Amino acid sequence: MSRGGARNLDYAALLRASRLLDSSANQQEVKLALLSDAATQRMVPLFRALLHERGINAEIYEAPFDAIELQVYDSRSGLYKFQPDFMVVLNAVQALRTRFMQRSGSASAFVQETIEGVVRTWEGIQARSTATIIQSNFVLPYERFFGNFDQKVPDSFYAVAMRLNALLAQEASKRTGVLIQDVEGVASWIGRSLWFDDRFWDMAKSYCALEYLPAVAQNVVDIVMASRGHVTKCVVVDLDNTLWGGVVADDGLDNLLLGAHGEGEAFHRFQCYLRELANRGILLAVCSKNDMKNALLPFQEHPEMVLKREHFVAFMANWSDKAENIRNIRETLNIGFDSMVFLDDNSFERNLVRELMPEVTVPELPEDPADYVRAISELNLFEATSFSAEDVKRAELYRQEAERKEIQARFATVDEFLKSLDMRMTVERFDSFHLPRIAQLIQRSNQFNLTTRRRSEAECAALMNDPRWIPLYAKLADRLSDHGLISVVILERGEKHLAIRDWLMSCRVLSRGVEQCQMNEVFERARQEGLELVTGEYIPTAKNGLVKGFFEQFGFRKIDELDGGHTRWALETSAYQPATVLIRLAETAQAEIST
Amino acid sequence: MPFTTRIEVLEALTPVFREVLDDSALVLRENMTAADVEGWDSLNHIDLIVAIEKKFKVRFTTSEVTSLKNVGELADLVQTKLATSH
Repeated sequence: MSRGGARNLDYAALLRASRLLDSSANQQEVKLALLSDAATQRMVPLFRALLHERGINAEIYEAPFDAIELQVYDSRSGLYKFQPDFMVVLNAVQALRTRFMQRSGSASAFVQETIEGVVRTWEGIQARSTATIIQSNFVLPYERFFGNFDQKVPDSFYAVAMRLNALLAQEASKRTGVLIQDVEGVASWIGRSLWFDDRFWDMAKSYCALEYLPAVAQNVVDIVMASRGHVTKCVVVDLDNTLWGGVVADDGLDNLLLGAHGEGEAFHRFQCYLRELANRGILLAVCSKNDMKNALLPFQEHPEMVLKREHFVAFMANWSDKAENIRNIRETLNIGFDSMVFLDDNSFERNLVRELMPEVTVPELPEDPADYVRAISELNLFEATSFSAEDVKRAELYRQEAERKEIQARFATVDEFLKSLDMRMTVERFDSFHLPRIAQLIQRSNQFNLTTRRRSEAECAALMNDPRWIPLYAKLADRLSDHGLISVVILERGEKHLAIRDWLMSCRVLSRGVEQCQMNEVFERARQEGLELVTGEYIPTAKNGLVKGFFEQFGFRKIDELDGGHTRWALETSAYQPATVLIRLAETAQAEIST
Repeated sequence: MPFTTRIEVLEALTPVFREVLDDSALVLRENMTAADVEGWDSLNHIDLIVAIEKKFKVRFTTSEVTSLKNVGELADLVQTKLATSH
């Protein structure tokens, strides 16, 4: 389960492991459908083994060889009966080459036909399924018919593959529910001269040299894991010999290795790398065995520091053990250990954290700091399935949260403090503009999440258009900041009852009365529509113990207890006692879709 | 050269076959063909070839891979390749 260190991607070892999988060890399941114009038989055990390592039992549907269109356009095909969570479309450049060599029109026409064919396939899938599509791009071919001049000849096969990759990225960016698997990135990391083994393409339509099939499978698994909410949210870094060369307390500020040129360049590059991560919404935290004064000194006075104090949402410099500090950082940020990466040059500290917190990802850092960025990059730790303006704002929000906690300390009662915040909330039905953020929140929320159903963007879009469902999102703002979209509540109308299907909230806005305000709304809606009963359920996971007593606190009674602590609850609409809240609910701007 | 004699080559091939075909008791015989061994299908054949290439650091041509008839021929081929590559 634990990540970090070198990835074991040995083909034979993974095949062997796939024969011995103990499915009872895992609680989670995923259904993958494979569609390819290469052979996929050997991918299946690799997917099983790699997903099993991450705690997931995979059920896999293999579409017949080279039958992508046949399966996709046939609503009754096995593909749809299987009801996959993910459709993995794997296109081989070898098959593209065959079609290119048989083309009747121009190369440009070929590019156009090919990209249109792929997009039609996506649309065909999305008309019949809510599965997330994972579309490969093309590994660039090795032949360059004009040598370097290929770059200037749009008709060469090499240029055609490059254009198709650009178009795939462009088309996927326009759509929800389609993710690109950058297999070209994987292949170029390994190197084209090793990647291809045409003997096995000829004999068995093998996607690449067998040795590298695990790298393809791993790349898909990375996307699957991220889609299911397993993403890195925070990087915790050491200071001495990690962010700069030398020990600030021993060597002194002037003697640290750090700068855009010379020996300090490795650390400069590493800091730039971390700053880019921060810019894309990864939270940075410091965990250093140091006196606070010494730890802060380079941030205040070293002219070559790329990272500033304000890039960090938490700053732990003390003499407690690092595990304790990481635990504190986790608590401050309200995130899971498994969304944290710890970077430290000291192998003792790395091993201590691995030992005490196996869920935290602790990569081996190479001895030479010049290799830090490359070693971390190889692990693909920062996979994402969405990117929104909220991501960029996240660090800022966490800093404001810290400020809020400080203000809170100045008020005598919590209510007095909450009142001073002047909180305003809007609750709206899902709309297409907010779908990416909604889907992202659904993937990311673990703790305040009653059912942890990872509905994809496409599934959310389907709910949005179904009048039986009432899928709602909530936004919150206060005097100090605009929190944006922080909660999702999905309701379904029954004959006489209103069912709460999903309820989740960002942990940034805990303990402010957001859920109380929403529950008032739920019952108000039930009352207006003449529904006598409101029902709900709680499905326990390793992480959502926080909301175990959720329904009870609102006066619901338990009507059913299933295996593993899964409980069902109900409360008569007339019996609900509205909670007192200190949030102003803004008028809904949008009209409800009429039923 | 570690695998010069016929016996040595067969001995070195055995664990490769056992692992790929998932049969820890498999004993190789010279005249053994794919039809004689459970699990030795066209897919496993390619896994076998790749594993043997890796172990002996040799490379087979497409026609060698497709025309191999039995274990004896495979051992011959490995022996010849080892003799010419060193």
